[in-house]
Amino acid sequence: MFINYEHENHVYNVTIERRDSHYFVTYDNTEYKVEAEEIKPGQLKIKIGDRLIKSVITEGDKEKYVFLDGDIFKVRPVELTGARKTKEKDEGDLISPISGRVVSVKVKDGSSVKKGDVLMVIEAMKMEYLIRAPFDGKIEKVNFKEKDLIEIGQNTVELVKGED
Amino acid sequence: MDVIESNINTSSKEFKENYKHYETFVDNLKEKINIAQKGGGEDKIKLHKSRKKMLARERIDALLDPDTPFMEFNTLAAHDMYENKSPCAGIVTGIGLIHGREVVIVANDATVTGGTYYPMTVKKHLRAQEIAMQNNLPCIYLVDSGGAFLPMQDEVFPDREHFGRIFYNQAVMSSMGIPQISAVMGSCTAGGAYVPAMSDETIIVKGTGTIFLGGPPLVKAATGEEVSAEDLGGADVHCRQSGVSDHYAHDDKEAIHLTRNIVENLNRPEKTHLDIREPEDPVYDIKEIYGVIPKDSRRPFDVREIIARVVDGSRFHEFKTLYGDTIVCGFARILGYPVGILANNGVLFSESAIKGTHFIELCCQRKIPLVFLQNITGFMVGKKYEAGGIAKDGAKMVSAVATANVPKFTVIIAGSFGAGNYGMCGRAYGPRQLWMWPNARISVMGGEQAANVLLTVKKDQLWREGKALTKKEEKAITRPILDKYETEGNPYYSTARIWDDGIIDPIDTRMVLGLGISAALNAPISDWKPGVFRM
Repeated sequence: MFINYEHENHVYNVTIERRDSHYFVTYDNTEYKVEAEEIKPGQLKIKIGDRLIKSVITEGDKEKYVFLDGDIFKVRPVELTGARKTKEKDEGDLISPISGRVVSVKVKDGSSVKKGDVLMVIEAMKMEYLIRAPFDGKIEKVNFKEKDLIEIGQNTVELVKGED
Repeated sequence: MDVIESNINTSSKEFKENYKHYETFVDNLKEKINIAQKGGGEDKIKLHKSRKKMLARERIDALLDPDTPFMEFNTLAAHDMYENKSPCAGIVTGIGLIHGREVVIVANDATVTGGTYYPMTVKKHLRAQEIAMQNNLPCIYLVDSGGAFLPMQDEVFPDREHFGRIFYNQAVMSSMGIPQISAVMGSCTAGGAYVPAMSDETIIVKGTGTIFLGGPPLVKAATGEEVSAEDLGGADVHCRQSGVSDHYAHDDKEAIHLTRNIVENLNRPEKTHLDIREPEDPVYDIKEIYGVIPKDSRRPFDVREIIARVVDGSRFHEFKTLYGDTIVCGFARILGYPVGILANNGVLFSESAIKGTHFIELCCQRKIPLVFLQNITGFMVGKKYEAGGIAKDGAKMVSAVATANVPKFTVIIAGSFGAGNYGMCGRAYGPRQLWMWPNARISVMGGEQAANVLLTVKKDQLWREGKALTKKEEKAITRPILDKYETEGNPYYSTARIWDDGIIDPIDTRMVLGLGISAALNAPISDWKPGVFRM
């Protein structure tokens, strides 16, 4: 189950899975093994690792108030748009987003790159578009050199996923 | 509606650098506004107060309902013009609430060269009247002005959009049922005398308020008659003898009180109905916009990150997400009001223009106000795109924007270049308000592009004569063009000339849009009648 909560202008994406008598809660790529028991409505006994915590949760209009270890957290559930997730451009795309001119090539055939590294810069219509590595890997071939014209949709480099 | 998921990492180095960089934009803006709002400066303010007169901004404060906002227009009008002798162009304009209803206020600032009208003063006054006319808002004139600035008479008097237009507008608005109210709180000389005379209801302050076509010096020169200003055109003359004024006030405070009483009795029609909900803050902090806008203006950014920080609950119902993705369209709410948003996310292609047109059609049909978040470097150029008919697809969008029946609002959040400005509801397309962020740039094309175009033209010309240019000569041609575009593309250059309604801190974007929509609901929304779309 995916849940998204907002707390103090920040959205937390949490995945919860129930296996045996435990809950496995994943947040920010870390998995936590959690035991939880409802003592009475709105009161929980939670065990995370060796820590035992008691918590009271009260429901507001749209939000929930979580009393935890003497602090009060105001959270509200948010539904995230699926549309947003279909675009993962920020993670990198090797295809040129626009027809323009290559202004800089940052890698050579055989270069090793990390996810997010800038591979090429393309200029068009007064803007500079950065081509970033979508994953760690090795450049097999750079398809364009500086000052080349590139068409929208053309592959900038051939990148092979690295093993390590 | 679904909440936009942000991909921004607010603890990244990039975000922090952008944020810090943007803060300098905002600090700079605030400093300029601060200076402009001081008007004519300490000495002039002292003199003004010694006459028991309130300052223009104090008058507005007292006039509006307590603790309600005043949406000021063009605070930086005439900035860096006329040797900076006309801060705010010597006039304060804006929308505020009196007895719960929106009015447009036009207040002369007599501390700035006696409240006289420079060309930009006239333009600012006319723009405020235009806003009143479009939104069906009563006009309150707090008059304290010596009339036209005589040394620049050729730029303020004769043309269509000059001084005379002020009174023309008063007559036209009065005939449209838009109340025109004047409070004369200082001099009102020559042409200026027509502001109260053309008003539906007028107040004058004893001792400071005067109305006459020719002041005492002119009278003496013309006929030899010697008369004091008060005897020539003071409150007693106009309330007891001439009938030029309807109400008699003993001081500014009483004049303001009487103005409020007048507005209380205007019997304004009901506002237009929209499906309004309880306002909700965005999930993400609006101030994070500072870190979203890249430090390097040549770098693109995902405009959804801006939308997420501007709309209620960061909720956005996106339309045609996967089609023409260089424009983002969708429905949302701002301070509870429904809006249709069009926001650039790259260069406009045919598909994006068609998508934008379709979306505008939806909003026109459903009578939902349109918000344009403009960041456009232009429509895509090149053989392939011309052959694909980008000119006609762009024309569809421009036509839809021009004929849209719903209130339109534009915020230039970064670049505004070329025909993209038209398609995204630039000034010429009649948005109810057009605001700029301090990082904005506006020009017909980029400076580099313009310089290269002109250089190519020159080279071709020389080539025909069998000559060529040296690198140095090339620079001599391009440098001045680059400099010119750099200066003129600056948002302060724009706002000084009233090409927009003001530069705002991005965190005020929700507020100005919400107030703008609320004001717009004073006018009915007609049915949509589009023009011919070239297919």
